[in-house]
Amino acid sequence: MKDLTRVGLRWDPCGHAGLTGPLLALADDCDLAFRRLADRWHATEERHPSAMPASALATHLRSFPHQATFAAALDPADANLGEFADGPVTAPNGTVALTRIAPVTTVLTPAACYHVYAGHAREHLSEARYVSTRNTCFRRESRYEPLLRQWSFAMREIVCLGTPAEADAFLAQARAAVDYFALLIDVPLDWTPATDPFFRPHTNPGYLLQRIQPSKHEALYGGSLALGSVNLHHDHFGTAFGITRDGAPATTACVAFGVERWLYALTDRHGSDPDGWPDLLAAANQVVDR
Amino acid sequence: MRSEADIRAALHAFVQRHANDFPLTDDTPLFTLRVLRSVHLPELILLLERLRAGPIDVEQLQPGDFASIDVIVRRFGAVS
Repeated sequence: MKDLTRVGLRWDPCGHAGLTGPLLALADDCDLAFRRLADRWHATEERHPSAMPASALATHLRSFPHQATFAAALDPADANLGEFADGPVTAPNGTVALTRIAPVTTVLTPAACYHVYAGHAREHLSEARYVSTRNTCFRRESRYEPLLRQWSFAMREIVCLGTPAEADAFLAQARAAVDYFALLIDVPLDWTPATDPFFRPHTNPGYLLQRIQPSKHEALYGGSLALGSVNLHHDHFGTAFGITRDGAPATTACVAFGVERWLYALTDRHGSDPDGWPDLLAAANQVVDR
Repeated sequence: MRSEADIRAALHAFVQRHANDFPLTDDTPLFTLRVLRSVHLPELILLLERLRAGPIDVEQLQPGDFASIDVIVRRFGAVS
């Protein structure tokens, strides 16, 4: 991979990227463009924390325990904190010399849209609802690579909560919008059916369903890098969170963008000189005004 | 391995057990209409493996393989 340090990439090998200068501006433009695409559905913008109660994500945690990151804190008992503070705190290899841990109840956000379903729990929708949200998401991986595969990364999502027909229509429109946007900024994409990286997939109902009835399609750059995906959840979240539409559990769907991966694709395609980067917001405007 | 008729009858019984009085036919789109759901798939695969007396390689599953009872019988009615 080319060196993007000059344009503002700061890389922590633990799997976290920092951005400054032109690359930060490009990331902001990316997110602004995706937000503008959300206007296609008059989506409401929502902002959520980067953590949520693990109890709300039990099914997810069973399916993806290898990717989960939990928020851990020390047991607040004075003696326990003293033992920690008086100890080495960190070892030379970077490991924290933890003392007793308080009960863990919180998971760091694995996908931006989960907050939307939790936030709209027990709502009865009289029309389709569209929400746009961005979050820092956390997924453990076996290896990390700047912009391509990170422990923490920015995810922008546009979510539809509606009937099955409304969700289907949304996904078709979302794919068309992403295609046109990618065409305008000259980032070639190919859509392909995909499965999520389930733990023990062969016995996981979610994985088996994705095999026989694809509900996830990824937009690939360069044949293998997923810059985004469209996902149909059927009534999984509608049922889990008591959200109804027309008296039945709501069907939900989302289009998700991995911002850092778009940075990779844009700089790979157009070079690392900011003068060569396309006008993302103008392209998004053109998509919405079409 | 059971006969095709036996397999079809067993599949009917399995689906009907989960179908909540849905008017089931051999070409009912089982997962598209949500007659069956993801939670039923592991049990359905185990049932088919028992009926055909042979394993099903999950990695070889293709979109549409469980579309209806007709499709399932055609696709998994015999050990290939």
